[in-house]
Amino acid sequence: MTMLADMPAVMLLAAAPAVPLLMIATAIVPRARERLIAYLPFAPVPAIVAAITVPHGTSVVLPQALLGLTLEIDKPGAILLGSAALLWMAGGIHARSSIREQVGRFAAWWLITLAGSLGVFLAADMIGFYFFYTLVSLAAYGLVVHDDTPDARRASSLYVALALLGEALLFMAFVLLAAAAPGGSVLISDAVAALSASPWREPALLLIILGFGLKIALVPLHVWMPLTYVAAPTPAAAVLSGAAVNAGVVGLIRFLPFDTAMPAWGEALAVIGLLSALYGVIVGVTQANPKAVLAYSSISQMGFIAAVLGMGLATGNTAVPLVVAFYAAHHTLAKGGLFLSLGLLDARSPRYVWLVLLPAAVLALGLAGLPLTGGQLAKMAAKGPLGDGAIGTLAHLSAAGSTLLMLFFLLRLNTTVPQNMAKPTINPPAAAWLVVAFAALVMPWILFPTIVGASWRHALTHKELWSASWPVIAGGVMAAVLWPRRAILRNIPQGDLLILAERCGPAARRVAVAFERTDDALRQWSVASMCIVLLVLLTALALAAS
Amino acid sequence: MSVAAVTATTEGYLLVLAIMWPVAGILVALVVNGRNIERVAYIVLPIGFAIATAVVMAVAQGGQSQIYVVGGWAPPLGVALRADGISAAMMMTTAMVICATGLFARGEFVQPAEGPEARAPYVFWILLFSIWSALNALVLGSDLFNLYVALELLTFAAVPLVCLKGQKETIEAALRYMLFALIGSVLYLLGAVMIYGLYGTLDIGLLSGRVRAEPATWIAAALMTVGLLAKTALFPLHLWLPPAHAGAPAPGSAILSALVVKGSFFLIVRIWFDAMPGHLSFAAAQLLAALGAGAILVGSVLALRQQRLKLMIAYSTIAQLGYLFFIFPLATGFAAGIVWSGLAWTGSWMQLFSHAFAKAAMFMAAGLIAEALGHDRIADLGGIGRKLPITMFAFALSGLSLIGVPPSGGFVAKWLLLIATINEGQWWWAAVIVVGGLLAGGYIFMVLGRLLADPLSPLVIRGAVSRSRELVALSLAVCAVLLGLVPLQPSDFLRIGR
Repeated sequence: MTMLADMPAVMLLAAAPAVPLLMIATAIVPRARERLIAYLPFAPVPAIVAAITVPHGTSVVLPQALLGLTLEIDKPGAILLGSAALLWMAGGIHARSSIREQVGRFAAWWLITLAGSLGVFLAADMIGFYFFYTLVSLAAYGLVVHDDTPDARRASSLYVALALLGEALLFMAFVLLAAAAPGGSVLISDAVAALSASPWREPALLLIILGFGLKIALVPLHVWMPLTYVAAPTPAAAVLSGAAVNAGVVGLIRFLPFDTAMPAWGEALAVIGLLSALYGVIVGVTQANPKAVLAYSSISQMGFIAAVLGMGLATGNTAVPLVVAFYAAHHTLAKGGLFLSLGLLDARSPRYVWLVLLPAAVLALGLAGLPLTGGQLAKMAAKGPLGDGAIGTLAHLSAAGSTLLMLFFLLRLNTTVPQNMAKPTINPPAAAWLVVAFAALVMPWILFPTIVGASWRHALTHKELWSASWPVIAGGVMAAVLWPRRAILRNIPQGDLLILAERCGPAARRVAVAFERTDDALRQWSVASMCIVLLVLLTALALAAS
Repeated sequence: MSVAAVTATTEGYLLVLAIMWPVAGILVALVVNGRNIERVAYIVLPIGFAIATAVVMAVAQGGQSQIYVVGGWAPPLGVALRADGISAAMMMTTAMVICATGLFARGEFVQPAEGPEARAPYVFWILLFSIWSALNALVLGSDLFNLYVALELLTFAAVPLVCLKGQKETIEAALRYMLFALIGSVLYLLGAVMIYGLYGTLDIGLLSGRVRAEPATWIAAALMTVGLLAKTALFPLHLWLPPAHAGAPAPGSAILSALVVKGSFFLIVRIWFDAMPGHLSFAAAQLLAALGAGAILVGSVLALRQQRLKLMIAYSTIAQLGYLFFIFPLATGFAAGIVWSGLAWTGSWMQLFSHAFAKAAMFMAAGLIAEALGHDRIADLGGIGRKLPITMFAFALSGLSLIGVPPSGGFVAKWLLLIATINEGQWWWAAVIVVGGLLAGGYIFMVLGRLLADPLSPLVIRGAVSRSRELVALSLAVCAVLLGLVPLQPSDFLRIGR
């Protein structure tokens, strides 16, 4: 390796997660902490430069004092990194003008989440991945709870409980992977290569799918998502829904063994994914709050991604990581852009609302694969791995559902705007948002040839245009029929199944009380003395049993 | 531990010094005016720290145990002091936590400038030196009776720490602690006497060659082990710990939770890995680990249910002690047919060291919060994070180590222990370790959420909290985090001497 020639590239790679972390270090000084928020847009700059300029395959092993982490950039990682960093930048610009209270604290949580969110795309070893994953998962708690309303507290408690559960599942998964990896290697590639022959293959795969499934909100692990996105301040909701969620996507990309066909696991994942895609639409259309509609759309879109990953796993398709990264990157920009547009609508006078609504409409329908948008290309790329079977057809049909949901979002948006006008307004600059929206539209056209190996002109053939159009038309018809009758849609509470889960609360409390009673009893002198005698006997007997 | 190695090494005198230096401090403290005792501490603490560092360096450079033969009489006639890898590491941890606690206590235990001398400051420093000397004797001793003496010294120095402030409930807690610890001592002594009767020696090195598998040995070993479990407050013998650790003043809680309970654990390891290696049956190891698992589950759930911060931390100690006992089924090497599994060995010690730093930091943070607010009700902590950001940061960092989030010593410990459970084919302990981390996350975030929240009513701060004391708590928490930078593999240092 020619170290000198690679130096700038290597430095950039390390700078992507390091710069935001170093920025937090300045927060030790109280005055610097208060000003930190103004510099949030600069934190993701090294990541954007790295995503564009660093040659794929570049890697760096950090010294042991920095955990000996290995950072490496590959094509899927670069696509996810670049799109996420761009959204973080736009979100930072938005936050700078829209967050007014506790700015120092908000900036600190923002930067930790940001460092983790970008770091997961670069981490090549399990320890580093887990470290960054923990940052993005747990620090988001501070962003969700920021407004300190009862809703925010409820959402953040639920969020952190499930995030910790996800952490625990993945910890065990990584331990199983490391135990089977040759020579105790902690590199992800070594561990995944050894997975198919591992004696703990089945539990490891289950834990990986459950752990990352929580992050991408696969039904029924999705309950946290609507509450969290609604409770978080708008710029935070934008980066969480667009960028942070991809920590789960990249996890599945990195840790599922796509070089070995595993039909049972793959098809199971695909079916759950399609169920999520459908479920998100059905519950989403009942939601009155546009943020909740977007959250259910995320559940639906992530379900689609899981379906693609599942089919890739079922058939042993090694092209799937790149395709999924491409699809997820478009989702990042489109979904993040839609959340940011909500913040802009709050601030605009009714005369200019259409200036925001029109690009928002393009972004929204892009998620459904509207012809000529970036979304059309994202859906086209996904067709290959999905195949022509039942799952492929259903996945294609899901675009009609996405159209329906997105049209509902736009209509709900239009009806809620006047209510928001009463609030004291802030005025985040629209330029950053327009850049994200533009990138969502254009970036897929630039990348498309390198993803599927076919020219973008291929997308303009009659066949492809029609294939992308009819689900949108079908969705439009459904929306036209359903919207006037929306009164019959019962407003399902945000988090839907959560309401059922909360019924288990008393049972959990009973368990805790039983533990307390046990403890009370054990802390009686008479019981403790009995315990000692009993333990001496038991230990002696156990020693004899050799 | 081989019998042939009982000749003194060149740096062996350091071991005597490590035990005697704090004792010298006590003697000087007894003759000087009570107002000057803090100045004595300023000399005793740094030099004691230097001695511990020197021992660690000597062990690391020599790559073998450092030995001192007292009076030149080799065992079985005389007694030897021996510092292997784990004793050296324990000494270092002890020195760091004690010095940090000394710095922290400066603000809490000062003699009033005028009027009669107060008792608490005077007694505190003497107890601190005694605990230090006792812990060093405990990790260096190689004779079951000497170890008993060290253990008693430790207990009798630790008990008064609980009731320094002299309130009724803390005196009750201290009595409870003392009575239970005495039961433990009696059992241990009974076992040791039986061993002497059976094998005619109490020297650990000689015993390891003589011990036979017979019922009398099993009963003696069971008596000693269970006696020590009572002193370690392993579930279900934890009745004394919550009131004692939660009732003591913050520096006392820090020492009790971080160090004192580890002393008796260390002795259990000495018995099973050095005095009677190969005699721990699979069933007995499973029993010990099952008690540890019970501690993790019950301790963590109870921590979640506490309404007072210090009690929550005390229950968390009960839970965290449970992890230590996985060393018995996982490091003995039942599965591989070898006598050694370095992964679990390193993992368990990492758990001990990182918990020592994290828990000391956490009790200090809780003490500062209680000092600022005049209470430690978790529900009413809202807004204190904004007033004491450094304290909150210390609490958060030590909490992350307890959960096992990287980079932290807690993460390294859990990672190594979990890999060991898989390698040893004892996956059931893995489930407990993972659930324990999850529950720890629950109780840590429960408190963090309150610290970050807006206050329900305007906060009344009772007194200024010293910045330097906040920084002491933070630096201990940082130590717990820095332990996470060690490589994720069996440590060669901790293996020295075996």
